Amino acid sequence: MSSVISISKLAKHYQVPEREAGLKAAAKGLFKRTYKTVKAVDGISFEIQPGEVVGFLGPNGAGKTTTLKMLSGLLYPTSGGVSVLDYEPSKRSHDYLRQITLVMGNRNQLSWDLPALDSFDLQRAIYSIPADDFKRTRDEFIEMLDLKDLVQKPVRNLSLGERMKMEIVGALLHKPKILFLDEPTLGLDVTMQKRIRTFIAEYNKRYDATVLLTSHYMADVEALCRRVIVIHHGRLLFDGDLSKLVEKFSAFKTVGFTLSNPVADLSQYGEVVSVDGLRVTMRVPKEKTSAVTTRLLNELVVDDLTVEAIPIEDVIESVFSVQKEAME
Amino acid sequence: MQGFRLAFSYLRIGIMNEFQYRANLYIQILQTFIALATGLIGLNLVFAQTSELGGWNKAELLAVMGVFTITGGVIRAAVQPNMERLMEEIREGTLDYALTKPADAQLFISVREFRLWQMVDVLTGFVVLVVALIQLNWLVDLWSVLGFLSALVMGAVMVYCFWLIITSTAFWFVRVHEIANLFEGLYAAGRWPVDIYPNWLRYGLTFLVPVAFAVTVPAEALTGRLTLQTWLVALGLTVALFIISRVIWRIGLRNYSGASA
Amino acid sequence: MKRYIDFYLSSMKLAVLEQWQYPIANYFYMIGMIAEPVIYMVVWSTVATQQGGMVGGYTPGAFAAYYIVWTLVRNMNVVFTPYGWEWRIRQGQLSMSLMRPIHPLHYDVSYFAGWKIIVIILWIPLAFALSFFFKPDLHPTLIQGAVFFFAIWFAYLIRTMTLSLLGMVTFWTTRVSALFELYFAAELVLSGRLVPLSLMPDWVQRLAWFFPFRWAFGFPIESLVGNMATNDLLLGLGMQLAWIISGAVAVSLIWKVAIRRFSAVGG
Repeated sequence: MSSVISISKLAKHYQVPEREAGLKAAAKGLFKRTYKTVKAVDGISFEIQPGEVVGFLGPNGAGKTTTLKMLSGLLYPTSGGVSVLDYEPSKRSHDYLRQITLVMGNRNQLSWDLPALDSFDLQRAIYSIPADDFKRTRDEFIEMLDLKDLVQKPVRNLSLGERMKMEIVGALLHKPKILFLDEPTLGLDVTMQKRIRTFIAEYNKRYDATVLLTSHYMADVEALCRRVIVIHHGRLLFDGDLSKLVEKFSAFKTVGFTLSNPVADLSQYGEVVSVDGLRVTMRVPKEKTSAVTTRLLNELVVDDLTVEAIPIEDVIESVFSVQKEAME
Repeated sequence: MQGFRLAFSYLRIGIMNEFQYRANLYIQILQTFIALATGLIGLNLVFAQTSELGGWNKAELLAVMGVFTITGGVIRAAVQPNMERLMEEIREGTLDYALTKPADAQLFISVREFRLWQMVDVLTGFVVLVVALIQLNWLVDLWSVLGFLSALVMGAVMVYCFWLIITSTAFWFVRVHEIANLFEGLYAAGRWPVDIYPNWLRYGLTFLVPVAFAVTVPAEALTGRLTLQTWLVALGLTVALFIISRVIWRIGLRNYSGASA
Repeated sequence: MKRYIDFYLSSMKLAVLEQWQYPIANYFYMIGMIAEPVIYMVVWSTVATQQGGMVGGYTPGAFAAYYIVWTLVRNMNVVFTPYGWEWRIRQGQLSMSLMRPIHPLHYDVSYFAGWKIIVIILWIPLAFALSFFFKPDLHPTLIQGAVFFFAIWFAYLIRTMTLSLLGMVTFWTTRVSALFELYFAAELVLSGRLVPLSLMPDWVQRLAWFFPFRWAFGFPIESLVGNMATNDLLLGLGMQLAWIISGAVAVSLIWKVAIRRFSAVGG
């Protein structure tokens, strides 16, 4: 099968004016400006197959949004190739735009003062969706997201999460094949995040859509994406299975247990992360895990011993911090 | 006293802020120039057809224009930006920050913004006024200067109170953004002395929107038209408006705290 | 074509529904706007009375008619401002509208056209109130009425084009308010907004012929209030159309360049 999204050696460089602090420098800046080049995206390549849900990760300023904008045609690449559904996105041909959608968690498209239903109707006209098709899709989405009682209320009266659900319905009414989701769950509470996640997964299954998603919440990524792409400073760090990411970057496991008597020195077993009364958490190199647990059970009196993989957030964080040190 | 210190420190911050955006100064100069030019064009068009308007001659009307420009500058520098910010905060529900400060809330919300570059208008207004007074062969006279200055201050206070009352309605009606526009429209009426307007409009411009007191009355002081009676009415109205605006602000505030809790 | 009609109707409907929620705010806006012509009207009526009942061919009644019709034309002239362009580029709204398979300008044109319907409905009682106070002298013929109907909508389109062009300058620089102010000042003097153009010196009147301003402002008013010959009325509509078409061509050309720039420097 051929890929639906394909980018190769993609780069986006900006010229930004350099500002110095201070009044005098600011005044001077009015007349003469110096520029520096910022490499927001610096030569990344990947392919995505139809129907894949891919998590796109990286710290703030890594180049995620820039890449999404190039994919959706809002930004023109400095160099490199982008092809989505065999279109060149930056041409923004209407046929292309009809097959994709871009959802940004902090932007709203719906009319603030009106019930979402009215805005949905405008979407119908914009995308020239046949009337019965439109009604079916709309009602289906409303059902899936449990919005029946809310679509008649003015959007301004909805909670943040409810509004986001409405936004997503509005953004998907034309049944796009490709979804670019930039922080779709930003600022939402846990149940709301879950709801939106389930919906995205369901949409992906029903319409065999391809999804590229960025999120600060690893739970989103874990629930939805088998594959993740990690970028940092505009460069590709990792592209592959989520489980491989953990394996590759996480050399440790977490061992937790409860002592029956306090023990003065535990450092001989591994690095102690926290001690809360008699409850101890420590970090142990992966290959030594079984040896350490055996020793603990033999030499000390312990209850509730658990061995866990390090939470994925921490793995990602350690990837970035290692990378940061390497860069500096 | 602490209130004054607060006002002063905000004033300082405001001025420093404005220095960051020096380009705005040039824009302001241009804007003032354009407003002056269109004002003069209007005045000349009228006096190309007649030699006096409602008992005021051209030089006297130029003086009115000067006062109009001065007061307009003061309002746009110190009153309007504060009120617009307040409106925005009521709308967005972010007023709480301001209310948690240890100062009188009304004072606090009234001194947070200051647009220094609007002083260009004030200066230009003074120049226009001086030119007009020279044309009138005006002799410096202590009483008319005092009358003028006091009328100017009272006018500014009245306009402030008017703005505060209108802005306070934002506690009840969420979208009052058009108010600024409304005021600008009505304030423009002050370009001409209010005596030329039909009665109903003159009363409106005197008591509903205190444009008459903000512009016409100070100009009257300089052109020897101000009577003690008018001056006393102005004083009474200033005090009354100040009390009314404070009461309405208080009620609105209570309403706001009740709703957001 | 059918697709665009559908879009226009939907978008206008949305505008009507949205604006209908705020009759009071809309009214404040209109009242604020009405102060300006009332001032001109009073000043010029006073002058006319002092000059023995007429100045520049206008009696107080004719001035009243001119400035009351003015209020409607002024409202038709309200379109998406250049400051709005600045705002929507900064806020990222433009990016979102670029994602739709329809030219964003269609959205502006249709939305404001829908809003105009509300504005006209709200204007009618105001016009009655003003007429009650100022006794306009207005006797349009049928053909004048018909020309006026088209002229106000053409005026709307002319100003949409010119202000969109002006607004697009913000793609290149954000310090454009000075330019906008100059434009608005020129418009004030050359459009018939400040005074009927016939009160202006001859050379100003001749100059005004070559700018879009009077076609978006003075002409629609005069078509109803003045006694223009049918030929002149039709010529005026023709001039309006010419400005609309050349404006639209200019807008679409500059739009292409602007968007190319926009997608180079970021959305």
